Amino acid sequence: MVDSTLPNDLPGAADKTARRSGVRVPRLIAGGVILLTWEFVVRLFAPPFVAKPTTILTAIPRVIVDPAFLTATASTLSAVAEGLAIALVCGTIIGLTIGRSVIVERVLRLYVNVFYALPMVVVVPLFALWFGYTSAARLVTVVFASVFSIIVNVADGARAVPQEYVEVARSFRSARLRALLDVVLPASTPYLLAGLRLAAGRALIGAVVAEFITAIGGLGYFILYNSRTFHDNEAFVGVLLLAAFGVGFEGLVGWSTRQLLPWYRRDERSA
Amino acid sequence: MIGREESDAVRHALITRHGPFVLSLLAGMALWEIVGRNSSPAFLVPLSATMVRLWQLLIGGTLVAQTLNSAALFATGFLLSLLVGMPAGLLLARVGVLRVAVEPYIMILYATPMVALIPFILSLMGFGFVPKVLVVFLFGVFPILYNTVEGARSIKPEMIEVARSFRSGEWALWRDVMLPYTLPFTMTGIRLAIGRCLVGMVAAEFFLSSNGLGQLIMSASQNFDTGGLFAAILVICLIGVGLMRLGLALENRFARWRQ
Repeated sequence: MVDSTLPNDLPGAADKTARRSGVRVPRLIAGGVILLTWEFVVRLFAPPFVAKPTTILTAIPRVIVDPAFLTATASTLSAVAEGLAIALVCGTIIGLTIGRSVIVERVLRLYVNVFYALPMVVVVPLFALWFGYTSAARLVTVVFASVFSIIVNVADGARAVPQEYVEVARSFRSARLRALLDVVLPASTPYLLAGLRLAAGRALIGAVVAEFITAIGGLGYFILYNSRTFHDNEAFVGVLLLAAFGVGFEGLVGWSTRQLLPWYRRDERSA
Repeated sequence: MIGREESDAVRHALITRHGPFVLSLLAGMALWEIVGRNSSPAFLVPLSATMVRLWQLLIGGTLVAQTLNSAALFATGFLLSLLVGMPAGLLLARVGVLRVAVEPYIMILYATPMVALIPFILSLMGFGFVPKVLVVFLFGVFPILYNTVEGARSIKPEMIEVARSFRSGEWALWRDVMLPYTLPFTMTGIRLAIGRCLVGMVAAEFFLSSNGLGQLIMSASQNFDTGGLFAAILVICLIGVGLMRLGLALENRFARWRQ
């Protein structure tokens, strides 16, 4: 309906050439330049508590064995995983129905579009009011943040299924539900994965914002607490982990696209 | 006769096209009103009460002032991310070594949830307009940068070679080949950036110096002014939908060039 950023820009798929060793040298140099600039700018111009590469590096071994950090990580990641799972199931069901039924589409399109366009951070105070300052508020935020990008993409995918596929299934007397599950769902999987990829990013943001606002223990709160007490280096380890999680999920979606859908190529879509 | 038939057909088409939309809108409004009337006002206020509160905020001038505040923040941050993201993207596309060198870092930053950086920006830069603009900028710049690079790198080398063999200068090359070719891709980035900047705007107003629509939401929720909370969310909702439409229109306008 609105968004269909398909997995056409996955890191691994695009640059096979990048694997060549000729590429590694400029990358390492660029990384080195970035880190050195950061280090020296902070050393020269910023107060001593500000995070810089060397101090972050020395903080890493300390932080990753810190039980508080481990609990926080587990808490945030499990909330994100749980929320994404809920959003995936609900979003796929709703998306398929919207994509294949004109009436449902006309009734729900307005609401899906509105909630999709709504910056999800604005509802966090409302959820805090409804669910209290508990992890339930965070879970609901994660689901809310991620479900609409899945709905929108799955609906797009279900609509884009070639009519002949459905007709063939029908002429072999396949039941409606059967055709939906065995024909439409597999055919819209690339869209589903694209939606999931968007959803994961939004889910992470949702979880962090919910933790900032409600002060529920988690990676977001860990970052907030440490930076408030001038432990910027420790806090930055949390940011690195969040970034790693974001990148890792992108990679995972890219990998599963290649594994599950080897027939799917980005150029097919551009028509 | 023909005229009436035609107008009947038009009316019929209008009803079938917009009828379900209007019906579902009315049904949603009715549902909100009924559920709102039957639940505690601390949790949910009916649509009518939300409208009354919205009217009060509008009359009092708070709403307009705060919306303008937010708009200034959004516009500054978004324009900055466009002004940095687009030229930087084209430059990266033109200078291959540079692109190869920094691409993975852009990917990483694109996937990093930028909200997590807000506490650092707060402790480093404090309260004020500049740190908030920085937040909006960080939310918006990477989608634009990333999509511009994506687009520019799909320019066929022959195009640049042809331009070169006609003795095109560097400036003409950028203006007549690279920019028009990448614009549709940049538009995708711009559409994504609009959505992200809006999130960044609200997040900055929540966690950095509080003003604008974010402050309206925060203070309403802290004062259990549920009507005000819904009113503010409704306004942001309308802004979000409007901006999304704008982004889509821009993208479609330029998508025709894309092959």
